[in-house]
Amino acid sequence: MFQDKPQLSIVISSKTDMLKMVVELTRHIAILNGFSITDAQKISLAVDEAITNVITHSYQKNEAEKINLEFFSAANGLKIKITFSGVPPTMGEPRVDLNKMIKAKKKGGLGVALMKRIMDSVEYKTIGNINSCEMIKWKREN
Amino acid sequence: MKYFHVRSKLLHEIAVLYPKGHLDAHNVERFEREIIKLVGNDVIKIVVNCKDLNYISSAGMGVIMGYLDEIREKGGDIKLCSLNERVFEIFDLVGFTDIYDFLNDEKTALNKFNDVSR
Repeated sequence: MFQDKPQLSIVISSKTDMLKMVVELTRHIAILNGFSITDAQKISLAVDEAITNVITHSYQKNEAEKINLEFFSAANGLKIKITFSGVPPTMGEPRVDLNKMIKAKKKGGLGVALMKRIMDSVEYKTIGNINSCEMIKWKREN
Repeated sequence: MKYFHVRSKLLHEIAVLYPKGHLDAHNVERFEREIIKLVGNDVIKIVVNCKDLNYISSAGMGVIMGYLDEIREKGGDIKLCSLNERVFEIFDLVGFTDIYDFLNDEKTALNKFNDVSR
């Protein structure tokens, strides 16, 4: 059961130079919550992908916009909630066909696939003009 | 502070790219510029030596993916080598390991091109 209040909540500018800081912060939070370094690195990549999508697609690189990032801990997992406005996101294809993407000379479209492969659940919601992306990773039983 | 750098060298007709550091959406243009420059100069045999690459997000992988068709149509290829375990795992997560050659070291990657040209 996740705590009601976030363990950490930050607001960042919609700028790609924030990404490395977000990746490092997420990795630290995941390790603090008992994830292995390998899992923590993957979780931080999923957050990078989610924030990049917000900056690129929802805010179309408008650096004046803000993104809210919250981490909720539980004994057996970590939930990350990203809240933003702008263009509502789409989940994209559930599976990527790399050969098709290569033929189409596509450079984008891998981010959501990575998020889904790394996290146990990825959910986008839009209520009014507020969008959110909620991702959960459960700890593996050893 | 710059946390990504890329340099390249040309060995006869094969270019070797050395991305270094943390490759994400913030600095992907630097990496893409190098690939565009090579392809624009008809250098279509490219080895990406990832020995100093600590991190890659889908932005970086997208650049490697976006030019592959054009390069293969011209008879070239992109091969990757010397990846650390963490970076290799990221490529593997999206299935790149089924599409690209991943080699242990630069020499093996260069030889792979040379074997094909013989």
